[in-house]
Amino acid sequence: MWGRGSSRTLVIGTALAAFVVVCLLPPMYMLVLSVAPAAGRQSAFAALLLDTRQRELLANSALLGAGTAILATIVGVPLGLALARIPLRRKAVLRLALVAPVLLPPYVAGLAWIYLGGSRGLIAAVAGRDLLSDWTYSLPGAVIVLGLALYPLSMLATEVAMRRIDGRLEEAALLVAAPGRTLRRITLPLAAPSILAAALVVFVLAISELGVPGLLRVRVYTTEVFTAFAALYDFGRATLLALPLLLLSIAAAVVAGALGGERLLASRRGAGVPPLPFEAWRRPAGAAVSLVVAVALLIPLAVLGREALGGPSTRDVLAGSRDAIRNSLVLAATGATAITALAVWIGYARARSRPRVGRSMDVLLVVLFALPSTVVGVGLIGLWNRPGPLGAVYGTNVMILLAYLARLVPVAALALAASVRLIPASQEEAAAVSGAGWLRTMMHIVFPQIRHGLAAAWVVAFILAFGELGATILVAPAGEATLPIRIYTIIANTPSSHVAALALLQTAVILVPLAALGLTLSARENS
Amino acid sequence: MPSRTTTAIGRLSLLGAASVVAVSGACRSPEPTRTAERTVTIYVSTDRVFSEPVLREYERRSGVRVSVAYDTEETKSTGLANRLLAEKNRPQADVFWSNEPVRTLVLKSRDVLASYRSPSAVGIPASLVDPDGYWTGFSARIRVIAYNTKLVTQDEAPRSVFDLADPKWKGQVAIADPRFGSTSFHVAALYVLLGDAKADELFRRLKANEVRFVNSNSTVRDLVVRGEVKVGLTDTDDVNVALENGDPVAMVLPDRDGLGVPVMPNMVSLVADAPHADEGRKLIDYLVSPDVERQLAESAAVQIPLHAGVPGPKNLPAIDSFKPMTLDYSGAASRVEDVTARLASMLGL
Repeated sequence: MWGRGSSRTLVIGTALAAFVVVCLLPPMYMLVLSVAPAAGRQSAFAALLLDTRQRELLANSALLGAGTAILATIVGVPLGLALARIPLRRKAVLRLALVAPVLLPPYVAGLAWIYLGGSRGLIAAVAGRDLLSDWTYSLPGAVIVLGLALYPLSMLATEVAMRRIDGRLEEAALLVAAPGRTLRRITLPLAAPSILAAALVVFVLAISELGVPGLLRVRVYTTEVFTAFAALYDFGRATLLALPLLLLSIAAAVVAGALGGERLLASRRGAGVPPLPFEAWRRPAGAAVSLVVAVALLIPLAVLGREALGGPSTRDVLAGSRDAIRNSLVLAATGATAITALAVWIGYARARSRPRVGRSMDVLLVVLFALPSTVVGVGLIGLWNRPGPLGAVYGTNVMILLAYLARLVPVAALALAASVRLIPASQEEAAAVSGAGWLRTMMHIVFPQIRHGLAAAWVVAFILAFGELGATILVAPAGEATLPIRIYTIIANTPSSHVAALALLQTAVILVPLAALGLTLSARENS
Repeated sequence: MPSRTTTAIGRLSLLGAASVVAVSGACRSPEPTRTAERTVTIYVSTDRVFSEPVLREYERRSGVRVSVAYDTEETKSTGLANRLLAEKNRPQADVFWSNEPVRTLVLKSRDVLASYRSPSAVGIPASLVDPDGYWTGFSARIRVIAYNTKLVTQDEAPRSVFDLADPKWKGQVAIADPRFGSTSFHVAALYVLLGDAKADELFRRLKANEVRFVNSNSTVRDLVVRGEVKVGLTDTDDVNVALENGDPVAMVLPDRDGLGVPVMPNMVSLVADAPHADEGRKLIDYLVSPDVERQLAESAAVQIPLHAGVPGPKNLPAIDSFKPMTLDYSGAASRVEDVTARLASMLGL
C-alpha cells in the first residue's frame, strides 16, 4: 500500500515516539531504580518470592477482578444491546442514567452500601435485625460494589460494537431463527472482541482498586504494593511487588484474546436506520434498565443524600470548590482530548500490525494500564523534576496532563484498536489502489467508521481522568489542583455527612457536562 | 462541499485549540508572577480541615503567599512523604508538617530534612524536640479508646489496650490497619516498650478476640458511632469530630496507670535545600508558637499544647495531668518496617 516515505510513517512514528516518552519512560525509570545496585535491593528481589499469605492475597485479587469483570459483563452487555438494538423511549436520558454509576467514586459507593447493608445500616434498621452485614463485608460484597460501579464500561463497549454490526446479518438470521438464537449465534459473537476488551479493562481496574476492598475488609494483593510505598517508603520493592499484579493482568489479557480471537466484522451499511431486530424485547428491556438504574444509581444516591442531609451543614465544605471544579473540568477535557488524539494512532498501529506484533502490543498496553498509579507518579517526578526546560514544566498543571496521558493512553489505545480492527483492511487497500493518500484514507474511510469508538474513548478517558487521584496527588503543584484532591484531602476527619455531600458534588460536576454532551449528540443523531 | 467527517475534524480541531487556550489558564504556574511576592511551599499531612485555617491565618498576618500540598488519609493515597523522597534531588517544598512521628523520622533518615532550631520551641519539653534540630514537636494528639455510650457504660469501658484482648469484647473491637499512620507508630512503640515476645502475645490475643482491622482511624470511629462495634482504638481528633456531631461516643485515655498514654506530637521540619529556606524558617517559627498551639487546641482538632501555660482543649486533660508513654521516637520509627512485616503475617492482613 503506502511506502515508508508516506505520511503514515511520519504520523505513526511521531505518535509512537510520544507514546514512549509519555507512557513508557516513567515505568522504565522505576524499573531501573528497582534493579539498580543499592542497599537492600537483594531483599527487594527476595520479596518477589511470594509467601503463602501473599499468594492468598493474589488469589483474592484474581477472584475480585474476575468476579467484577463477569458481573459487569452480565449487567453491561444486555444493557448495551438494549441501547443499540431495542427502541426504548428517552434513550439518551436512559443512557446517561446507566452511565452515571461509574461517575461515583468507588470508595464512596462502597460507603453507601455500608450505610445500607452494615449491621446498623438502613436495612437492619428497617428489618429490626442484621440481615446483610456478613455479605456486605465480604469478597462477594466487594464484587457487587465494583461490578455495579464498572458495568457502564462494558455497556458502552457493547453498544459501540453493536452499532458497528451490519444489521442485515441479523435480519437474515431472523428469517430462519428466533431472536434469542440470532443473538447467541450472530450478534454476540460479532461483538465479542469489544465485550472481552471491556471485561479486561474492568478486570484491571478491579485488581488495582484499594479503597473498596479496604472499606469492606477484603484482603487483596494491591495492599502489598501500597504498603511498600506508604509504610516502608521503598520505591524499588514496591515496583517489583507490582510485577505479580501485572502478570495477572497479562494472564487475563491472554484469556480474553483466546476467547475473542481476531474476528473481523462486516462493516455496517452506510445509510438507513440502525437495525432493530429485537424490538419484541422492548418491555423486559425497559424493566431491566429500570432495575439497574434503581439498584446501581438511585439507591446509592438516596443513601448518600440522606447521609448528607443528616449531619451538620455542608455549605462551608462545599464552598470554595470553584477553582478545583474549573481546574478538574478543563484538565480532564484537555486530557481526554490529548489521550484520544494520541491513542487513536497507537490503536491504529496495533490493529494494522502483524498478529504476533499486535499481541505483544496488547500485552504492553495492558501492563501499562495495570501499573499502580504511584509507580507512574514517582516515575514522572524522577523524569521531569530536573533543572532546565523539564523543570519549568514540573510544578505546573502540565504534569497532571502527563499523568493522565501516562495512565490512560494505553486503555484508550486498546479500545480504539478494537474499533479499527472491525474495519476490513481491504477498504484501505482499495483506497490506496484508487490513489488516495494515507491521511485522506484515514479521514474519509477509517475515522468516520470509528467515530462512535472515538466518542466512547473520549468519554471514558474524561471520566477516568476526572477521578484520577493516585498519580495526580504526587505531581500536582502545591495549591488547589483538582476536585478529587480537594475532596480526598478534606474528607479526613470530617463527618460522614460531609463525605457524602462532597461525593455527590463530584458526581454532579462530572455528570452535567457529560449530560450536555450526550443529549446534544443524541439530538443531532436523531435529527 | 466539505464532508461530515472533515467538518467534524474541523470542529474537533477547534475544540482542541479551545482546550489548549483554556488549559493554559488552568496550567498557570504556582510560582509568583511578581518577583517581589514572598512565597513559601509547605507539604502537610495533618488533616486539611485543621491545618488550612492555621496556614491561611499565617498568610493573612505575614503577607507571604503559602502554597500548600495537603495529604489524604493514610490508606487513600501513598502520601506526600513519597513525594518528598522522589523530589529529594530538586526539592519543591520548604517545610514538611507531619501529624505523627514516623514519616518525619523516615525522611530524616533519608537525608530529606535540614536542621533548624526554632526559637519558638523554647518551653516545649526537650523529649519532643529533636536534639539535632531536624524536627520540632508541637500540639499533640493522643491515641484513645473510643466507646459507644449507648452500648457501653463508663465503668465498663476498657482502660488499657490489653483490655481489648479480653474475651468479653470478642468481635466488638475495631483498630485501624497497624501498617499505616498513627496506628503504625502506636504498635511500633508497643514493641519497643514491651519487647517482641510480649507484644507478639498481645497481638495474637487481639486476633483471637476477632478484632476488626479496618482501613483508617476515621472508619474505627464511624463503626463505634454506628454501633457496629462497641469499642475502638483511634485518635483524639477523630473522636472529637463525633463528639461535636453529638454522636453517642466517649473516650478513655488508655494505660494511664501502666505503660503511659501514647502521645503523638505534630512534627515540623525544614526541607533540605528548600527553595525558600528563609521563609520556611519563619513559617516553622509560627507553627511551633504558643499562638498556633492555642488555635489547634480551640479547633475541632483538640490538640494538646506542649508549651506550658497554653490552655488545652475543653474535652481533654492537660499534658502534665497524666502519665505519657515515654519512648524514644527514633527507636519506635526504626521498628516500623519489621513490625509491619511481623503484623502482616501474624494478623493475616
